[in-house]
Amino acid sequence: MEHLTKKFGSGVTAVEDLSFSAAPGKVTGFLGPNGAGKTTTLRCLLGLVAQTSGNATIDGVTYREIENPITVVGASLEASGAHPARTARNHLRMIASAAKIPDTRVSEVLETVGLTAAADRKVGGFSLGMRQRLALAVALLGDPKVLILDEPANGLDPEGISWLRTFLRHQASKGVSVLISSHVLSEVQQTVDDVIIIRSGSLVYQGSLHSLTEGGPAEVVVRGPKIDQLVLPSEWSSRSVGGGETVITGATIEAVGRAAFEQSLELHELSSKSADLEELFLGLTAEESPTNQPMNGKGGPA
Amino acid sequence: MIALIRSEFRKVFSTKLLLILALSALGFMLLQIFLSIFLTPPGFEDINRLMDPAYIKTIIAAAGSASVFLLILGIVAMSGEYRNQTITSTFLTTPVRWRVIVAKMVTFAILALALALVLWFIAAITTMLLLGTQDSAPFEWSAAFEILGGTLIGLVLYAILGVAIGSLITSQVAAIIIALVFTFVLEPLITVFFLSVGKWLPGNALNAILQTGGGGPESNASDLLDVPVGALVLVGYTVVFAVAAALTTNRRDIT
Repeated sequence: MEHLTKKFGSGVTAVEDLSFSAAPGKVTGFLGPNGAGKTTTLRCLLGLVAQTSGNATIDGVTYREIENPITVVGASLEASGAHPARTARNHLRMIASAAKIPDTRVSEVLETVGLTAAADRKVGGFSLGMRQRLALAVALLGDPKVLILDEPANGLDPEGISWLRTFLRHQASKGVSVLISSHVLSEVQQTVDDVIIIRSGSLVYQGSLHSLTEGGPAEVVVRGPKIDQLVLPSEWSSRSVGGGETVITGATIEAVGRAAFEQSLELHELSSKSADLEELFLGLTAEESPTNQPMNGKGGPA
Repeated sequence: MIALIRSEFRKVFSTKLLLILALSALGFMLLQIFLSIFLTPPGFEDINRLMDPAYIKTIIAAAGSASVFLLILGIVAMSGEYRNQTITSTFLTTPVRWRVIVAKMVTFAILALALALVLWFIAAITTMLLLGTQDSAPFEWSAAFEILGGTLIGLVLYAILGVAIGSLITSQVAAIIIALVFTFVLEPLITVFFLSVGKWLPGNALNAILQTGGGGPESNASDLLDVPVGALVLVGYTVVFAVAAALTTNRRDIT
Protein backbone atom coordinates (compact mmCIF):
# COMPACT_ATOMS: atom_id res chain seq x y z
CA MET A 1 0.00 0.00 0.00
CA GLU A 2 1.71 3.20 -1.13
CA HIS A 3 0.27 6.67 -0.63
CA LEU A 4 -3.21 5.34 -1.20
CA THR A 5 -5.89 8.01 -1.43
CA LYS A 6 -9.53 7.46 -2.22
CA LYS A 7 -11.95 10.32 -2.56
CA PHE A 8 -15.53 9.48 -3.31
CA GLY A 9 -17.74 11.95 -5.14
CA SER A 10 -19.21 14.79 -3.04
CA GLY A 11 -15.82 15.40 -1.45
CA VAL A 12 -15.69 12.50 0.99
CA THR A 13 -12.12 11.38 1.53
CA ALA A 14 -12.24 7.80 2.81
CA VAL A 15 -8.53 7.10 2.72
CA GLU A 16 -5.76 9.70 2.68
CA ASP A 17 -2.13 9.06 1.75
CA LEU A 18 -2.12 5.69 3.46
CA SER A 19 1.04 3.60 3.26
CA PHE A 20 1.67 0.27 4.94
CA SER A 21 2.72 -3.26 4.18
CA ALA A 22 1.79 -6.65 5.55
CA ALA A 23 4.59 -9.17 5.88
CA PRO A 24 4.27 -12.52 4.07
CA GLY A 25 3.56 -15.61 6.15
CA LYS A 26 2.14 -13.60 9.05
CA VAL A 27 -1.26 -12.74 10.40
CA THR A 28 -1.66 -8.98 10.25
CA GLY A 29 -4.50 -7.22 11.98
CA PHE A 30 -5.86 -4.20 10.15
CA LEU A 31 -7.57 -2.16 12.82
CA GLY A 32 -9.50 1.01 13.17
CA PRO A 33 -12.89 2.23 14.32
CA ASN A 34 -15.92 1.94 12.06
CA GLY A 35 -15.66 4.40 9.20
CA ALA A 36 -11.87 4.64 9.40
CA GLY A 37 -11.53 3.47 5.79
CA LYS A 38 -10.62 -0.20 6.34
CA THR A 39 -13.13 -1.62 3.90
CA THR A 40 -12.36 1.03 1.27
CA THR A 41 -8.65 0.26 1.60
CA LEU A 42 -9.24 -3.47 1.18
CA ARG A 43 -11.55 -2.90 -1.79
CA CYS A 44 -8.85 -0.77 -3.46
CA LEU A 45 -6.38 -3.58 -2.83
CA LEU A 46 -8.77 -6.06 -4.45
CA GLY A 47 -9.44 -3.95 -7.54
CA LEU A 48 -13.10 -3.38 -6.70
CA VAL A 49 -12.69 0.32 -6.03
CA ALA A 50 -10.38 2.53 -8.10
CA GLN A 51 -8.16 4.66 -5.90
CA THR A 52 -7.86 8.37 -6.62
CA SER A 53 -4.07 8.11 -6.32
CA GLY A 54 -1.41 5.79 -4.98
CA ASN A 55 -0.78 2.08 -5.40
CA ALA A 56 -2.19 -1.02 -3.79
CA THR A 57 -0.35 -4.19 -4.74
CA ILE A 58 -0.02 -7.80 -3.67
CA ASP A 59 3.46 -9.26 -4.23
CA GLY A 60 4.21 -6.26 -6.43
CA VAL A 61 1.23 -6.58 -8.80
CA THR A 62 -2.27 -5.21 -8.66
CA TYR A 63 -5.09 -7.65 -8.04
CA ARG A 64 -6.56 -7.08 -11.49
CA GLU A 65 -3.25 -8.09 -13.09
CA ILE A 66 -3.26 -11.52 -11.44
CA GLU A 67 -4.25 -14.41 -13.69
CA ASN A 68 -7.17 -16.30 -12.10
CA PRO A 69 -6.75 -14.24 -8.90
CA ILE A 70 -8.84 -16.28 -6.47
CA THR A 71 -6.26 -19.07 -6.69
CA VAL A 72 -3.67 -16.57 -5.37
CA VAL A 73 -5.64 -14.25 -3.10
CA GLY A 74 -8.74 -15.33 -1.22
CA ALA A 75 -11.00 -12.59 0.06
CA SER A 76 -14.13 -12.38 2.13
CA LEU A 77 -15.60 -8.91 2.08
CA GLU A 78 -19.12 -8.91 3.38
CA ALA A 79 -21.25 -11.55 4.97
CA SER A 80 -24.26 -11.09 2.75
CA GLY A 81 -22.77 -11.51 -0.70
CA ALA A 82 -24.93 -14.43 -1.74
CA HIS A 83 -28.30 -14.77 -3.47
CA PRO A 84 -30.83 -15.67 -0.73
CA ALA A 85 -32.55 -18.31 -2.85
CA ARG A 86 -29.32 -20.08 -3.75
CA THR A 87 -27.90 -22.89 -1.64
CA ALA A 88 -24.45 -22.56 -0.11
CA ARG A 89 -23.17 -25.33 -2.38
CA ASN A 90 -24.56 -23.69 -5.53
CA HIS A 91 -23.09 -20.35 -4.48
CA LEU A 92 -19.65 -21.96 -4.27
CA ARG A 93 -20.17 -24.00 -7.44
CA MET A 94 -20.88 -20.93 -9.57
CA ILE A 95 -17.68 -19.28 -8.33
CA ALA A 96 -15.68 -22.50 -8.72
CA SER A 97 -16.68 -22.97 -12.35
CA ALA A 98 -15.75 -19.39 -13.25
CA ALA A 99 -12.24 -20.00 -11.84
CA LYS A 100 -11.95 -23.53 -13.29
CA ILE A 101 -11.79 -25.02 -9.80
CA PRO A 102 -13.11 -28.62 -9.61
CA ASP A 103 -16.41 -29.18 -7.81
CA THR A 104 -14.74 -31.57 -5.36
CA ARG A 105 -13.05 -28.51 -3.85
CA VAL A 106 -16.50 -27.09 -3.03
CA SER A 107 -17.22 -30.00 -0.68
CA GLU A 108 -13.76 -29.63 0.85
CA VAL A 109 -14.16 -25.98 1.77
CA LEU A 110 -17.68 -26.56 3.08
CA GLU A 111 -16.16 -29.20 5.36
CA THR A 112 -13.33 -26.84 6.39
CA VAL A 113 -15.70 -24.12 7.53
CA GLY A 114 -18.14 -26.57 9.10
CA LEU A 115 -21.05 -25.97 6.74
CA THR A 116 -21.40 -29.47 5.30
CA ALA A 117 -24.70 -30.08 7.07
CA ALA A 118 -26.14 -26.79 5.79
CA ALA A 119 -24.60 -27.03 2.31
CA ASP A 120 -27.87 -27.63 0.49
CA ARG A 121 -29.92 -25.10 2.42
CA LYS A 122 -30.77 -21.69 1.00
CA VAL A 123 -28.45 -18.91 2.10
CA GLY A 124 -31.46 -16.70 2.87
CA GLY A 125 -32.10 -18.79 5.98
CA PHE A 126 -28.52 -18.57 7.24
CA SER A 127 -27.52 -16.84 10.45
CA LEU A 128 -24.90 -14.10 10.31
CA GLY A 129 -22.32 -16.55 11.65
CA MET A 130 -23.13 -19.08 8.92
CA ARG A 131 -22.84 -16.35 6.27
CA GLN A 132 -19.41 -15.48 7.65
CA ARG A 133 -18.40 -19.12 7.34
CA LEU A 134 -19.72 -19.22 3.78
CA ALA A 135 -17.72 -16.09 2.96
CA LEU A 136 -14.63 -17.80 4.39
CA ALA A 137 -15.38 -20.87 2.26
CA VAL A 138 -15.45 -18.61 -0.81
CA ALA A 139 -12.09 -17.13 0.20
CA LEU A 140 -10.59 -20.62 0.61
CA LEU A 141 -11.99 -22.01 -2.63
CA GLY A 142 -8.89 -21.34 -4.73
CA ASP A 143 -6.50 -22.59 -2.01
CA PRO A 144 -4.82 -19.14 -1.99
CA LYS A 145 -1.49 -18.15 -0.43
CA VAL A 146 -2.93 -14.83 0.75
CA LEU A 147 -6.16 -14.32 2.66
CA ILE A 148 -7.82 -10.93 2.99
CA LEU A 149 -10.70 -10.96 5.44
CA ASP A 150 -12.88 -7.96 6.22
CA GLU A 151 -14.39 -8.15 9.71
CA PRO A 152 -14.67 -11.96 9.66
CA ALA A 153 -15.46 -12.04 13.38
CA ASN A 154 -18.50 -9.81 12.97
CA GLY A 155 -21.63 -11.68 13.99
CA LEU A 156 -19.78 -14.70 15.33
CA ASP A 157 -20.67 -16.02 18.78
CA PRO A 158 -17.84 -16.68 21.27
CA GLU A 159 -17.58 -20.26 20.04
CA GLY A 160 -17.36 -18.99 16.47
CA ILE A 161 -14.64 -16.49 17.38
CA SER A 162 -12.64 -19.22 19.06
CA TRP A 163 -13.10 -21.38 15.96
CA LEU A 164 -11.96 -18.47 13.76
CA ARG A 165 -8.81 -18.08 15.87
CA THR A 166 -7.89 -21.75 15.46
CA PHE A 167 -8.69 -21.50 11.77
CA LEU A 168 -6.47 -18.45 11.25
CA ARG A 169 -3.58 -19.96 13.22
CA HIS A 170 -3.89 -23.11 11.11
CA GLN A 171 -3.80 -21.07 7.90
CA ALA A 172 -0.76 -19.15 9.15
CA SER A 173 1.00 -22.40 10.08
CA LYS A 174 0.53 -23.50 6.46
CA GLY A 175 2.41 -20.36 5.37
CA VAL A 176 -0.66 -18.40 4.29
CA SER A 177 -0.37 -14.64 4.75
CA VAL A 178 -3.48 -13.23 6.37
CA LEU A 179 -4.68 -9.64 6.47
CA ILE A 180 -7.67 -9.40 8.77
CA SER A 181 -9.61 -6.25 9.53
CA SER A 182 -11.52 -5.55 12.69
CA HIS A 183 -12.81 -2.63 14.72
CA VAL A 184 -12.32 -4.56 17.96
CA LEU A 185 -8.71 -5.26 18.92
CA SER A 186 -9.60 -7.98 21.42
CA GLU A 187 -11.21 -10.02 18.64
CA VAL A 188 -7.91 -10.48 16.88
CA GLN A 189 -5.45 -9.81 19.70
CA GLN A 190 -4.72 -13.50 20.30
CA THR A 191 -4.34 -14.24 16.61
CA VAL A 192 -2.29 -11.51 15.00
CA ASP A 193 1.48 -11.09 14.81
CA ASP A 194 1.47 -7.54 13.49
CA VAL A 195 -1.04 -4.75 13.62
CA ILE A 196 -1.78 -1.82 11.36
CA ILE A 197 -4.01 0.79 12.94
CA ILE A 198 -5.71 3.52 10.95
CA ARG A 199 -7.91 6.42 11.93
CA SER A 200 -9.86 8.65 9.52
CA GLY A 201 -8.10 7.08 6.56
CA SER A 202 -4.58 7.67 7.89
CA LEU A 203 -2.03 5.40 9.53
CA VAL A 204 -1.54 5.77 13.28
CA TYR A 205 0.51 2.66 14.02
CA GLN A 206 2.26 -0.11 12.20
CA GLY A 207 4.34 -2.76 13.91
CA SER A 208 4.20 -5.87 15.99
CA LEU A 209 1.55 -6.30 18.62
CA HIS A 210 4.40 -6.68 21.14
CA SER A 211 5.92 -3.28 20.38
CA LEU A 212 2.50 -1.69 20.62
CA THR A 213 2.31 -2.91 24.22
CA GLU A 214 5.81 -1.68 24.97
CA GLY A 215 5.03 1.69 23.52
CA GLY A 216 2.39 2.27 26.14
CA PRO A 217 3.07 3.47 29.70
CA ALA A 218 4.05 0.55 31.93
CA GLU A 219 2.67 0.54 35.43
CA VAL A 220 3.97 -1.08 38.62
CA VAL A 221 1.58 -2.14 41.33
CA VAL A 222 2.84 -2.25 44.92
CA ARG A 223 0.84 -3.28 47.94
CA GLY A 224 1.81 -3.30 51.60
CA PRO A 225 0.52 -2.29 55.05
CA LYS A 226 2.49 1.01 55.17
CA ILE A 227 2.77 1.70 51.48
CA ASP A 228 1.74 5.35 51.82
CA GLN A 229 5.09 5.94 53.61
CA LEU A 230 7.00 4.97 50.45
CA VAL A 231 8.97 7.96 49.21
CA LEU A 232 9.32 8.06 45.45
CA PRO A 233 11.69 10.02 43.18
CA SER A 234 9.94 13.02 41.70
CA GLU A 235 10.10 11.69 38.11
CA TRP A 236 7.78 8.83 39.07
CA SER A 237 4.12 9.42 39.47
CA SER A 238 1.90 7.40 41.71
CA ARG A 239 -1.69 7.08 42.64
CA SER A 240 -3.21 5.28 45.57
CA VAL A 241 -6.03 2.93 44.68
CA GLY A 242 -6.98 2.02 48.25
CA GLY A 243 -6.49 -1.22 50.19
CA GLY A 244 -2.84 -0.40 50.72
CA GLU A 245 -2.25 -0.50 46.99
CA THR A 246 -0.42 2.07 44.88
CA VAL A 247 0.07 2.20 41.15
CA ILE A 248 3.34 3.76 39.99
CA THR A 249 4.09 4.90 36.46
CA GLY A 250 7.44 5.89 35.00
CA ALA A 251 9.47 3.28 36.86
CA THR A 252 10.65 -0.26 36.28
CA ILE A 253 9.56 -3.02 38.61
CA GLU A 254 13.19 -3.45 39.76
CA ALA A 255 13.52 0.23 40.69
CA VAL A 256 10.31 0.17 42.72
CA GLY A 257 11.43 -3.02 44.51
CA ARG A 258 14.82 -1.46 45.36
CA ALA A 259 13.17 1.72 46.68
CA ALA A 260 10.90 -0.31 48.99
CA PHE A 261 13.84 -2.43 50.17
CA GLU A 262 16.02 0.63 50.87
CA GLN A 263 13.20 2.18 52.87
CA SER A 264 12.63 -1.14 54.74
CA LEU A 265 8.96 -1.29 53.86
CA GLU A 266 7.05 -4.54 54.03
CA LEU A 267 5.54 -5.49 50.63
CA HIS A 268 2.70 -7.93 49.98
CA GLU A 269 2.65 -7.42 46.26
CA LEU A 270 5.02 -6.12 43.63
CA SER A 271 3.84 -6.62 40.08
CA SER A 272 3.99 -4.97 36.70
CA LYS A 273 0.85 -4.26 34.84
CA SER A 274 1.24 -3.97 31.10
CA ALA A 275 -0.82 -1.30 29.51
CA ASP A 276 -4.26 -2.48 28.53
CA LEU A 277 -4.28 -3.09 24.78
CA GLU A 278 -7.85 -2.06 24.32
CA GLU A 279 -7.17 1.23 26.13
CA LEU A 280 -4.11 1.81 23.99
CA PHE A 281 -6.11 1.05 20.88
CA LEU A 282 -8.89 3.41 21.89
CA GLY A 283 -6.30 6.05 22.73
CA LEU A 284 -4.72 5.70 19.29
CA THR A 285 -7.97 5.79 17.40
CA ALA A 286 -9.82 8.47 19.35
CA GLU A 287 -10.40 11.63 17.33
CA GLU A 288 -8.99 14.06 19.90
CA SER A 289 -6.42 11.89 21.58
CA PRO A 290 -3.19 13.05 23.22
CA THR A 291 -1.31 10.30 21.37
CA ASN A 292 -2.00 11.85 18.01
CA GLN A 293 1.55 11.41 16.77
CA PRO A 294 2.01 8.34 14.61
CA MET A 295 3.99 5.68 16.42
CA ASN A 296 6.01 3.30 14.38
CA GLY A 297 7.16 0.08 15.91
CA LYS A 298 9.22 -0.81 12.89
CA GLY A 299 10.68 2.49 11.80
CA GLY A 300 7.96 4.09 9.76
CA PRO A 301 5.55 3.12 7.07
CA ALA A 302 6.98 0.76 4.49
CA MET B 1 -14.87 -17.69 -21.62
CA ILE B 2 -16.35 -21.20 -21.66
CA ALA B 3 -15.74 -21.40 -17.90
CA LEU B 4 -17.47 -18.07 -17.36
CA ILE B 5 -20.47 -19.10 -19.45
CA ARG B 6 -20.70 -22.34 -17.46
CA SER B 7 -20.65 -20.25 -14.29
CA GLU B 8 -23.45 -18.06 -15.66
CA PHE B 9 -25.55 -21.12 -16.49
CA ARG B 10 -25.06 -22.34 -12.93
CA LYS B 11 -26.20 -18.96 -11.65
CA VAL B 12 -29.37 -19.04 -13.77
CA PHE B 13 -30.34 -22.59 -12.95
CA SER B 14 -29.79 -22.20 -9.20
CA THR B 15 -32.67 -19.71 -8.85
CA LYS B 16 -36.27 -19.75 -10.04
CA LEU B 17 -36.02 -16.52 -12.04
CA LEU B 18 -35.83 -18.18 -15.47
CA LEU B 19 -38.70 -20.55 -14.76
CA ILE B 20 -40.98 -17.78 -13.51
CA LEU B 21 -40.29 -15.45 -16.43
CA ALA B 22 -40.52 -18.25 -19.03
CA LEU B 23 -43.91 -19.33 -17.66
CA SER B 24 -45.08 -15.70 -17.54
CA ALA B 25 -44.02 -15.22 -21.15
CA LEU B 26 -45.87 -18.40 -22.13
CA GLY B 27 -49.04 -17.34 -20.33
CA PHE B 28 -48.95 -13.84 -21.80
CA MET B 29 -48.40 -15.23 -25.29
CA LEU B 30 -51.28 -17.73 -25.03
CA LEU B 31 -53.60 -15.02 -23.71
CA GLN B 32 -52.69 -12.81 -26.65
CA ILE B 33 -53.41 -15.65 -29.13
CA PHE B 34 -56.78 -16.42 -27.51
CA LEU B 35 -57.81 -12.76 -27.55
CA SER B 36 -56.68 -12.30 -31.15
CA ILE B 37 -58.78 -15.24 -32.28
CA PHE B 38 -61.89 -14.94 -30.13
CA LEU B 39 -62.17 -11.19 -29.57
CA THR B 40 -63.19 -8.70 -32.20
CA PRO B 41 -62.15 -5.10 -31.63
CA PRO B 42 -64.77 -2.34 -32.10
CA GLY B 43 -65.17 -1.38 -35.74
CA PHE B 44 -64.33 -4.85 -37.02
CA GLU B 45 -67.72 -6.48 -36.22
CA ASP B 46 -68.78 -6.86 -39.84
CA ILE B 47 -65.62 -8.53 -41.19
CA ASN B 48 -64.03 -11.84 -40.24
CA ARG B 49 -60.38 -10.96 -39.78
CA LEU B 50 -59.54 -14.64 -39.50
CA MET B 51 -60.11 -14.96 -43.27
CA ASP B 52 -57.03 -12.76 -43.81
CA PRO B 53 -53.76 -14.82 -43.97
CA ALA B 54 -51.76 -11.70 -43.02
CA TYR B 55 -53.77 -11.40 -39.79
CA ILE B 56 -53.11 -15.06 -38.98
CA LYS B 57 -49.42 -14.33 -39.32
CA THR B 58 -49.67 -11.58 -36.71
CA ILE B 59 -51.38 -14.04 -34.35
CA ILE B 60 -48.44 -16.44 -34.54
CA ALA B 61 -46.11 -13.48 -34.02
CA ALA B 62 -47.46 -13.31 -30.46
CA ALA B 63 -44.35 -15.38 -29.70
CA GLY B 64 -42.47 -12.11 -30.08
CA SER B 65 -44.38 -10.62 -27.13
CA ALA B 66 -42.04 -12.66 -24.92
CA SER B 67 -39.44 -10.01 -25.76
CA VAL B 68 -40.37 -7.86 -22.76
CA PHE B 69 -40.00 -10.86 -20.44
CA LEU B 70 -36.55 -11.58 -21.84
CA LEU B 71 -35.67 -7.92 -21.40
CA ILE B 72 -36.68 -8.21 -17.74
CA LEU B 73 -34.84 -11.53 -17.42
CA GLY B 74 -31.60 -9.88 -18.53
CA ILE B 75 -32.18 -6.82 -16.34
CA VAL B 76 -32.98 -8.85 -13.22
CA ALA B 77 -30.10 -11.27 -13.73
CA MET B 78 -27.52 -8.50 -14.12
CA SER B 79 -28.80 -5.91 -11.65
CA GLY B 80 -29.57 -8.76 -9.23
CA GLU B 81 -25.83 -9.31 -8.86
CA TYR B 82 -25.55 -5.78 -7.50
CA ARG B 83 -28.69 -6.14 -5.40
CA ASN B 84 -27.52 -9.36 -3.75
CA GLN B 85 -23.88 -8.23 -3.71
CA THR B 86 -22.80 -11.35 -5.58
CA ILE B 87 -21.14 -8.86 -7.94
CA THR B 88 -18.31 -8.66 -5.38
CA SER B 89 -17.38 -12.34 -5.66
CA THR B 90 -18.10 -12.27 -9.39
CA PHE B 91 -15.60 -9.46 -9.98
CA LEU B 92 -13.12 -10.87 -7.47
CA THR B 93 -13.15 -14.10 -9.46
CA THR B 94 -13.05 -12.33 -12.84
CA PRO B 95 -11.53 -8.84 -12.44
CA VAL B 96 -11.60 -8.29 -16.22
CA ARG B 97 -15.18 -7.16 -15.92
CA TRP B 98 -16.22 -6.97 -19.58
CA ARG B 99 -15.68 -10.72 -19.77
CA VAL B 100 -18.38 -11.22 -17.14
CA ILE B 101 -20.80 -9.04 -19.09
CA VAL B 102 -20.05 -10.80 -22.38
CA ALA B 103 -20.44 -14.22 -20.71
CA LYS B 104 -23.78 -13.17 -19.29
CA MET B 105 -24.93 -11.83 -22.66
CA VAL B 106 -23.93 -15.05 -24.42
CA THR B 107 -25.67 -17.12 -21.73
CA PHE B 108 -28.92 -15.21 -21.97
CA ALA B 109 -28.73 -15.15 -25.78
CA ILE B 110 -28.56 -18.97 -25.74
CA LEU B 111 -31.45 -19.18 -23.27
CA ALA B 112 -33.48 -16.69 -25.32
CA LEU B 113 -32.82 -18.67 -28.48
CA ALA B 114 -34.06 -21.89 -26.88
CA LEU B 115 -37.07 -20.16 -25.36
CA ALA B 116 -37.90 -18.39 -28.65
CA LEU B 117 -37.91 -21.73 -30.50
CA VAL B 118 -40.21 -23.32 -27.93
CA LEU B 119 -42.57 -20.33 -27.76
CA TRP B 120 -42.72 -19.98 -31.53
CA PHE B 121 -43.62 -23.67 -31.85
CA ILE B 122 -46.30 -23.47 -29.14
CA ALA B 123 -47.70 -20.28 -30.74
CA ALA B 124 -47.92 -21.94 -34.14
CA ILE B 125 -49.51 -25.16 -32.81
CA THR B 126 -51.99 -23.25 -30.62
CA THR B 127 -52.98 -20.98 -33.50
CA MET B 128 -53.39 -23.98 -35.79
CA LEU B 129 -55.59 -25.86 -33.31
CA LEU B 130 -57.74 -22.84 -32.41
CA LEU B 131 -58.23 -21.81 -36.03
CA GLY B 132 -59.54 -25.33 -36.65
CA THR B 133 -62.48 -24.48 -34.41
CA GLN B 134 -63.25 -21.28 -36.34
CA ASP B 135 -64.38 -20.22 -39.74
CA SER B 136 -61.01 -19.01 -41.05
CA ALA B 137 -58.41 -19.06 -43.75
CA PRO B 138 -56.26 -22.21 -43.55
CA PHE B 139 -53.27 -22.26 -41.20
CA GLU B 140 -50.06 -22.27 -43.25
CA TRP B 141 -46.74 -23.43 -41.77
CA SER B 142 -45.01 -21.27 -44.39
CA ALA B 143 -46.51 -18.20 -42.68
CA ALA B 144 -45.26 -19.46 -39.31
CA PHE B 145 -41.77 -19.92 -40.73
CA GLU B 146 -41.76 -16.35 -42.02
CA ILE B 147 -42.17 -15.25 -38.38
CA LEU B 148 -39.53 -17.63 -37.00
CA GLY B 149 -36.40 -15.66 -37.95
CA GLY B 150 -37.75 -12.42 -36.51
CA THR B 151 -38.84 -14.14 -33.29
CA LEU B 152 -35.40 -15.68 -32.75
CA ILE B 153 -33.47 -12.49 -33.54
CA GLY B 154 -35.86 -10.27 -31.59
CA LEU B 155 -35.90 -12.32 -28.41
CA VAL B 156 -32.14 -12.92 -28.43
CA LEU B 157 -31.42 -9.21 -28.90
CA TYR B 158 -33.89 -8.21 -26.18
CA ALA B 159 -32.26 -10.60 -23.70
CA ILE B 160 -28.84 -9.11 -24.49
CA LEU B 161 -30.32 -5.60 -24.24
CA GLY B 162 -31.69 -6.55 -20.80
CA VAL B 163 -28.23 -7.55 -19.54
CA ALA B 164 -26.84 -4.27 -20.89
CA ILE B 165 -29.56 -2.19 -19.20
CA GLY B 166 -29.11 -4.15 -15.95
CA SER B 167 -25.44 -3.22 -15.87
CA LEU B 168 -26.03 0.41 -16.86
CA ILE B 169 -28.76 0.92 -14.25
CA THR B 170 -27.72 -1.24 -11.33
CA SER B 171 -30.70 -0.39 -9.16
CA GLN B 172 -32.98 -3.29 -10.01
CA VAL B 173 -36.27 -1.51 -9.34
CA ALA B 174 -35.22 1.59 -11.29
CA ALA B 175 -33.99 -0.49 -14.23
CA ILE B 176 -37.24 -2.47 -14.49
CA ILE B 177 -39.44 0.61 -14.11
CA ILE B 178 -37.50 2.58 -16.70
CA ALA B 179 -37.59 -0.34 -19.16
CA LEU B 180 -41.32 -0.91 -18.70
CA VAL B 181 -42.26 2.77 -18.83
CA PHE B 182 -40.25 3.14 -22.01
CA THR B 183 -41.75 0.01 -23.61
CA PHE B 184 -45.38 0.51 -22.64
CA VAL B 185 -45.78 4.29 -22.27
CA LEU B 186 -43.06 6.35 -23.91
CA GLU B 187 -42.54 4.36 -27.07
CA PRO B 188 -46.29 3.94 -27.88
CA LEU B 189 -46.84 7.67 -27.28
CA ILE B 190 -43.99 8.67 -29.55
CA THR B 191 -45.23 6.18 -32.14
CA VAL B 192 -48.77 7.57 -32.11
CA PHE B 193 -47.70 11.19 -32.48
CA PHE B 194 -44.46 10.93 -34.44
CA LEU B 195 -44.41 7.66 -36.34
CA SER B 196 -41.47 8.85 -38.44
CA VAL B 197 -39.41 8.93 -35.22
CA GLY B 198 -41.21 6.10 -33.48
CA LYS B 199 -40.51 3.53 -36.14
CA TRP B 200 -36.81 3.79 -35.37
CA LEU B 201 -37.34 2.89 -31.70
CA PRO B 202 -36.46 -0.65 -30.52
CA GLY B 203 -40.05 -1.82 -29.95
CA ASN B 204 -41.11 -0.89 -33.47
CA ALA B 205 -37.90 -2.26 -34.93
CA LEU B 206 -38.95 -5.53 -33.24
CA ASN B 207 -42.48 -5.19 -34.65
CA ALA B 208 -40.94 -4.62 -38.06
CA ILE B 209 -38.96 -7.86 -38.00
CA LEU B 210 -41.96 -9.73 -36.54
CA GLN B 211 -44.09 -8.19 -39.36
CA THR B 212 -46.94 -7.52 -36.91
CA GLY B 213 -47.80 -3.95 -37.84
CA GLY B 214 -47.07 -2.57 -34.40
CA GLY B 215 -49.53 -0.75 -32.17
CA GLY B 216 -53.16 -1.71 -32.60
CA PRO B 217 -55.46 -3.08 -35.28
CA GLU B 218 -55.50 0.05 -37.45
CA SER B 219 -51.73 0.34 -37.84
CA ASN B 220 -50.07 -1.19 -40.82
CA ALA B 221 -46.86 -3.14 -41.27
CA SER B 222 -46.03 -0.88 -44.18
CA ASP B 223 -45.63 2.06 -41.75
CA LEU B 224 -42.72 0.28 -40.13
CA LEU B 225 -39.14 -0.31 -41.24
CA ASP B 226 -38.30 -3.07 -43.71
CA VAL B 227 -37.39 -6.35 -42.04
CA PRO B 228 -33.61 -6.18 -42.66
CA VAL B 229 -33.47 -2.50 -41.65
CA GLY B 230 -35.45 -3.28 -38.48
CA ALA B 231 -33.04 -6.09 -37.66
CA LEU B 232 -30.06 -3.79 -38.18
CA VAL B 233 -31.61 -1.07 -36.01
CA LEU B 234 -32.22 -3.56 -33.22
CA VAL B 235 -28.68 -4.92 -33.51
CA GLY B 236 -27.45 -1.31 -33.41
CA TYR B 237 -29.28 -0.54 -30.16
CA THR B 238 -27.98 -3.75 -28.61
CA VAL B 239 -24.38 -3.06 -29.60
CA VAL B 240 -24.48 0.54 -28.35
CA PHE B 241 -25.99 -0.46 -25.00
CA ALA B 242 -23.63 -3.43 -24.64
CA VAL B 243 -20.52 -1.31 -25.24
CA ALA B 244 -21.79 1.38 -22.86
CA ALA B 245 -22.44 -1.33 -20.25
CA ALA B 246 -18.93 -2.76 -20.57
CA LEU B 247 -17.28 0.66 -20.37
CA THR B 248 -19.25 1.95 -17.38
CA THR B 249 -18.91 -1.35 -15.51
CA ASN B 250 -15.16 -1.31 -15.92
CA ARG B 251 -14.92 2.05 -14.14
CA ARG B 252 -17.54 1.48 -11.48
CA ASP B 253 -16.58 1.29 -7.79
CA ILE B 254 -18.00 -1.87 -6.23
CA THR B 255 -18.80 -0.86 -2.66
